[in-house]
Amino acid sequence: MTEAEAIRLAQAGDAAAFEFLYRLHGRRVYALCLRMVSNPSDAEDLMQEAFLQLFRKIGTFRGESAFSTWLHRMTVNVVLMRLRKKSLPVASLEETTEPDEETGGPRKDIGAPDLLLTGAVDRVNLERSIEKLPPGYRTVFVLHDVQGYEHNEIADIMGCSVGNSKSQLHKARTRLRDLLQEEVREQARHERQIAKTQTGQSD
Amino acid sequence: MLCGELEVVFEQEGLTPLSPEARQHLSECNACKHYFDDVTGIVALASGFPAEVEPPERVWISIREELQRENLFRPKHREAKSWWQSFEELFWTRGLATAAVAGMLVIAAFSAFQEPRTPVLEARDDPFSSTVKVLNQQEHDLDNMRLASTTGDPAVDTSLRQNLQQVDEFIADCEHRVKEVPSDDLTREYLTNAYQQKAELLSAMMDRGGSLN
Repeated sequence: MTEAEAIRLAQAGDAAAFEFLYRLHGRRVYALCLRMVSNPSDAEDLMQEAFLQLFRKIGTFRGESAFSTWLHRMTVNVVLMRLRKKSLPVASLEETTEPDEETGGPRKDIGAPDLLLTGAVDRVNLERSIEKLPPGYRTVFVLHDVQGYEHNEIADIMGCSVGNSKSQLHKARTRLRDLLQEEVREQARHERQIAKTQTGQSD
Repeated sequence: MLCGELEVVFEQEGLTPLSPEARQHLSECNACKHYFDDVTGIVALASGFPAEVEPPERVWISIREELQRENLFRPKHREAKSWWQSFEELFWTRGLATAAVAGMLVIAAFSAFQEPRTPVLEARDDPFSSTVKVLNQQEHDLDNMRLASTTGDPAVDTSLRQNLQQVDEFIADCEHRVKEVPSDDLTREYLTNAYQQKAELLSAMMDRGGSLN
């Protein structure tokens, strides 16, 4: 069975076709939900809600966009709606890291040495920082840098322009760098305190 | 190229491939170089995250149950069923009702098959029923005539003539009907009896010595 056949059969209420579409796209949708909420139980709920919406509305699918794009758009909407209801920290889609006024370049800590993240960031740090991203930034970052979608596809999914998608991704990456720098600094501070305590105890 | 211009390049064109001007700026600006290295590292690390994760089977089970509850599943290839499959399904799923209807149909068909005979008989009986009564009465009269023949009552002769006339009329009717419907056995039977009655009537009149005229 091809995806097109499955869609046609699902539109006629064929149970096997519904399951085929779920098996075809479920893993990707679940990964997106998981990355967006970082909680398996919530991710399962969101995935279920997204697929239910999809199957309820599948009769209206006319093929103007790719089926996966349509599905991801529903998933993103469901996830963002849930995050807004939960009142998690939400930043405006236009929120940005202000560029340095003097140089016009990326913001850096003035008076402090540049913090090189290379080698200091691991997967856990990055996952924790992604969780702290505002939902809009997080969505674009996950879709582009984790799931590999192109900006035109993200624009379809998010219902925005390609330029907006590029801008959101750039801001998301810059914010992530800031969060990771904070994380690394916090880690270094904590290590220093431990070392100080140990030194004090040995004296 | 200035730092701000490089940032626009990062935003609109991504991290790679970079133009010679952008690479030149990176080689001269530590802040931008650090930014570039950090973000490149982040992207490389993120691309290592799995893009697909197998969800637990309970998710599909829940979805399926909900779809069933909402009646979104429909029987497969319903339109492809032949009339016989539909009838068979109807028969087995509603066997009792189907059997009852079939029984009624058989009874109705049997009745319809039987009913035409009765009306035909009635239709045949109707034109001759009064005549039959008359003939019976004539038989009775003939008996009386035999008894009356010794009494010499002229009223008996008059009655015999009237009876003979009625029998003749009946015979004429029967002959006409037999010509129209040669297969009408019942009329033939009536006709035979009428001839017999006429013969008996004539015999009685002969015994009395009366005249037919």
